[in-house]
Amino acid sequence: MIRHLFKLIWNRKKSNFLLITEIFFSFMVLFAVLSFVFYNYCNYTKPLGFDHQDVWQLTLRTNSDSTAQNRLIQEQLLQRVKSFDEVEHVSLSNSNVPFAFSMMTNSLSYGSNKEVQANVYDVQDDFKDVMKLQLQQGRWFGPQDDASRHRPIVINLMLKQKLFGEEEAIGKLIPINDSTNYTVIGVMDYYRAYSEFNAEEPAFFSRINLQQNEHALWSSLLIRVKPGTGVAFEEKMVRELSRIAQNWTLEVTTLEKMRKSKARLTLVPMIALGLVCGFLIFNVALGLFGVLWHNINRRHSEIGLRRALGASSAQIYRQFIGEVLVLATFGLLLGVVFAIQLPLLEVMQVESVVYISALFAAVGLIYLLTALCAFYPSRQAAAIQPAVALHEE
Amino acid sequence: MIKLSDIEKVYQTKSIETVALQHVNLEVPKGEFLSIMGPSGCGKSTLLNIMGLLDVPSKGVVEIDGQTILSYKDKELAHIRNQKIGFVFQSYHLVQDLSVLDNVELPLLYRSGISGSERSKRAKIALEKVGLSARTRHYPSQLSGGQRQRVAIARALIGQPEIILADEPTGNLDSVMGEEIMNILLDLNREDGTTIVMVTHDENMALKTERLIRFFDGQQVSDARMYDFQKV
Repeated sequence: MIRHLFKLIWNRKKSNFLLITEIFFSFMVLFAVLSFVFYNYCNYTKPLGFDHQDVWQLTLRTNSDSTAQNRLIQEQLLQRVKSFDEVEHVSLSNSNVPFAFSMMTNSLSYGSNKEVQANVYDVQDDFKDVMKLQLQQGRWFGPQDDASRHRPIVINLMLKQKLFGEEEAIGKLIPINDSTNYTVIGVMDYYRAYSEFNAEEPAFFSRINLQQNEHALWSSLLIRVKPGTGVAFEEKMVRELSRIAQNWTLEVTTLEKMRKSKARLTLVPMIALGLVCGFLIFNVALGLFGVLWHNINRRHSEIGLRRALGASSAQIYRQFIGEVLVLATFGLLLGVVFAIQLPLLEVMQVESVVYISALFAAVGLIYLLTALCAFYPSRQAAAIQPAVALHEE
Repeated sequence: MIKLSDIEKVYQTKSIETVALQHVNLEVPKGEFLSIMGPSGCGKSTLLNIMGLLDVPSKGVVEIDGQTILSYKDKELAHIRNQKIGFVFQSYHLVQDLSVLDNVELPLLYRSGISGSERSKRAKIALEKVGLSARTRHYPSQLSGGQRQRVAIARALIGQPEIILADEPTGNLDSVMGEEIMNILLDLNREDGTTIVMVTHDENMALKTERLIRFFDGQQVSDARMYDFQKV
């Protein structure tokens, strides 16, 4: 019977062309939207590599041009924040804290692996405890690095693989310029600071050494507060810090707020796309339903004939559902030929599993949609009395 | 083979009641070639539909091979139609998008356990029987009326049915083509012993059959055997 259905649809390809085209385009749109959704979902389910709960960002904006004075104030601020009972750990950082709209990148080269772009995070020794980082190999920064000849860095697994492949990373030297090198002291599994929905990117942490960088300033303080610490402490802290940094602008926000705000950036377009796609698919479904209804009405005499030749009403029902599924198969085959190129060519460096999952889901949804659209017209076809249908001819 | 007892068929709409058949009692023995004649609207096709289990009577009993089939479910009726009955229609009822071979194979699609190659083999034999073995790859639109009707007969034959119900099989054909089709049906009856019930408007065709029944206003008005033809 399946061969018969394929033959029937193939022989009617001219009249079914528009329907097949419609199914093809619906599949492509669905595949694109599902790829986007799966990509984000896939990233969302992966570990971030840190714990952002109870972590606040204190943004520091100076209003004076005196570097020496600013630096002094910054150190006083740091000490004062550390002294609060509600504070567990504190670390200076650049503006590219987790979930910030800020990035800093640097390119690293090692041997034949040239110019690997990586996110760089300047942090203090306490940063590990502020963000509760877990290391896979090696160690985090510590006082022993004060006397280090090279600048210590901790890298993530992705950067390790890009630079060193399967080789041991700890102790490797990466040139910064002719006289200075980075030395890898630790490797961590994940660090996805930009957004929960972004993929892991190569990244490394560079140590802030206040003694060696006497004129440098950092724009953020990351503060891990005790669980349950609230707005009252925030007000008290800002009030007290404002006395130290009188002309500075100090702003406090939680990483949780920043996470939500960043998530909205992905969720809003995703929901909008989903709605547009849903509306489109609904229209396609209505069109499909109408065409199938019309086709079945046109084929009353064929239905009557098949009944006369021995088809039961259930077989007629199955035949029409089957025809629609075969029709969908033609549209989908065309779509799959295009869609499969994306994982094969690794377009946009998205993991193949995302495209493959989206492909299977889109195929399944199109089959489901066409079967649902065919359900009622096919039931109507099955209910036609053979004598009446034959008489209509 | 076929026995109709006190058959009545009434078509009921909201305001109108149309009696298509009333008090029809008819017995068609195995191997008989029976023709039914009567003016348009007298209930001939309705009777044929009831005999072919395509329609149910409002009253009365239909028996095929001694089995009363009125209580049968849709699936069982479909099975009997597929196994025992072949249909030939005035307007051929060929599926335009299928080749001649595929059209002839259709009844076997609804039989389980027959492979594609077996279907094709049997369809070729049936087409050879009606003299169309050279047209297997043609489509209905490429055939003449007579050829289309021969395809329809081959389709009716392929399942080796015991009964063929032909509703004005020569109605759309010229006299030469009509003659050809009639000869095929006569051969089937004589050589294979197939029971044939044929509705026709053509007296000449009807006179070639063994038995002629006339209908008028839904009632059987005469039943004549071959040897009575000169008197009818």
